[in-house]
Amino acid sequence: MKILVTVKRVPDPETTIRVKPDGSGIVTDNIKYVINPFDEIAIEEALRIKEKLGGSEVVLASIGTKVVTEQLRTGLAMGADRALLVLCDQELDSLAVSRILAKLVERESPQLVLMGKQAIDDDANQAGQMLAAVLDWPQATFASQVQLAADQASVQVLREVDGGLETIGFSLPGIITADLRLNEPRYASLPGIMKARKKEIKEIPVAELGVDITPRLKIHKMDPPVKKIGGKKVETVQQLLDLLHTEAKVI
Amino acid sequence: MDFELLEEQRMLQDTVRRFVRQELLPLEALVLQRDTQGLTGEELLPAEVEERLLAKAKDAGLWGLDVPEEFGGLNLGALPKCLATEELYKTITPFTFPPDAPNLHMLVQTCTPEQRERYLLPYASGAKRSAIAISEPGAGSDPAAMRTTAVKKGDQWVINGRKIWISRAHIADFLIVMALTDKEKRARGGITAFLVDKGTPGLVLQRQIPVIGGHAPWELVFEDLTVPDSQVLGQVGQGFAPMQLRLTVRRLEIGSWCVGHAQRCLEMMVDYAKQRVTFGQRLADRQAIQWFIADSATDIHAARLMTHHGAWKFDQGEDVRQEASMLKVFATEMATRVADRAMQMHGGMGMSKELPLEFMYRRLRPMRIFEGPSEVHRWVIARTLLKD
Repeated sequence: MKILVTVKRVPDPETTIRVKPDGSGIVTDNIKYVINPFDEIAIEEALRIKEKLGGSEVVLASIGTKVVTEQLRTGLAMGADRALLVLCDQELDSLAVSRILAKLVERESPQLVLMGKQAIDDDANQAGQMLAAVLDWPQATFASQVQLAADQASVQVLREVDGGLETIGFSLPGIITADLRLNEPRYASLPGIMKARKKEIKEIPVAELGVDITPRLKIHKMDPPVKKIGGKKVETVQQLLDLLHTEAKVI
Repeated sequence: MDFELLEEQRMLQDTVRRFVRQELLPLEALVLQRDTQGLTGEELLPAEVEERLLAKAKDAGLWGLDVPEEFGGLNLGALPKCLATEELYKTITPFTFPPDAPNLHMLVQTCTPEQRERYLLPYASGAKRSAIAISEPGAGSDPAAMRTTAVKKGDQWVINGRKIWISRAHIADFLIVMALTDKEKRARGGITAFLVDKGTPGLVLQRQIPVIGGHAPWELVFEDLTVPDSQVLGQVGQGFAPMQLRLTVRRLEIGSWCVGHAQRCLEMMVDYAKQRVTFGQRLADRQAIQWFIADSATDIHAARLMTHHGAWKFDQGEDVRQEASMLKVFATEMATRVADRAMQMHGGMGMSKELPLEFMYRRLRPMRIFEGPSEVHRWVIARTLLKD
């Protein structure tokens, strides 16, 4: 089985993010970048499927400038077989991303596309769904368990939804987006890191794909989150109720 | 000149960083608790926890970083090893990727094919643990003054004497014992290394000596300890140079230990300075605290560059004894300064055994003594420069 896994380069969730004073974006100096954690879970799931089935191939796909090589190399060190990097230095919205990915799917014809449910930088949570629409493929988002049928022709996906669990199934090919509890990604092992050096990262100029990537979405301004103000202690329940009424105006 | 780490070196750093964050940092409270109970050395982690960590490290291929490929290692050299070591020392949870000590470098240089099978290979893969016995009650910084002797009788060697400050002697599967085989020649052809298996008759673990910093090394006595000729490690009389190489590698490693601990102290200082308010002002807004932080960051930066340079030069196959001595002095003293500032600015919490600062402070202190005290290294550095 061929599995395509999408990878986005995002700021390390451990770093402190600061918004530029003019609100045009975040300060990118001295920021460490990592694989979007949900994409890492998608890679892990693809590797587990590959290890279970044997004879499978895990192909990574990303879009961006050459710096993304670093994240792709980490994915290859985890165990993916090769990678595609669509070279593009332009800001892309989710639709443009899904159109580019659709072209890669056409070229590679994977049976399964695994993606993170969303990227932790802009939290759009759209690329997976849009890719399914562009390709007219079935989709299962927010997967917390993936069960491939014995004949490898269909898949059952457990989704964590409000109020419980939902199981949906579809015939392959299709798209699955990974939720947090799907698995715990492995470390990029040291032998894996050494092997990754020799694995192919194929660069594809975005123009070669002939996709309309004109942005339809514009980010006007970014603001840092409002600073939390410390709470205050009250002596009695009555006082609390009064303040909730008069000051917080919630009751 | 290129200071940029290679992509795979950065990836190794990331993997180890993650290992530390996910596996080791959560164990700190347990380590502090056991330390408070008076447990030391290997006892700071329960055996089953250490086994679990070793299994995880093996899964991630995190072992044998500087072991040559012919012995099943990755042969990455000293620089990647030093990057990994620095990350491991950002926590107080004591854990090393096997093999356990720089005895590797001594064994690689000296083992016979049979010794490779019996000692080097299982040691390199972490299956056997080692210790080395150099210091004696009257011969610490001056190992050439040692009095332990090995006398040849037929095809056997009979070893008599006493060693002190021997770390991990009780858990080592084998010891490397340095002994005098020629009282006249001493360091110039009179000191020989022997491989001594655990439980060999005549090997007496005299007493364990608890010292500052969670260590408890041993005093050993050799009473007609007899080993066959095949246990000589390297050439008879030529044990001193391989031992020096081992000490040099350890000194580079100590540089990484200090940078790791100091970096952790700095991170704690930065976090705390922004949180803690006294007399209506954040610590971060007070110049005294800003200087603590600036001086510490500068200190760490210098020591890190020295460590990376020393490791890099070692990887070029060059003699780094002078650099290793400079690093040993500078890094251990810089980490002492940084830990002291960190403790000072944390006030009461800095003293408490609820934060790792107190533990790091104690752990750093003996680093200015073992593997050669600062004063001896300064003397060595100056002697080299003043040589006619």
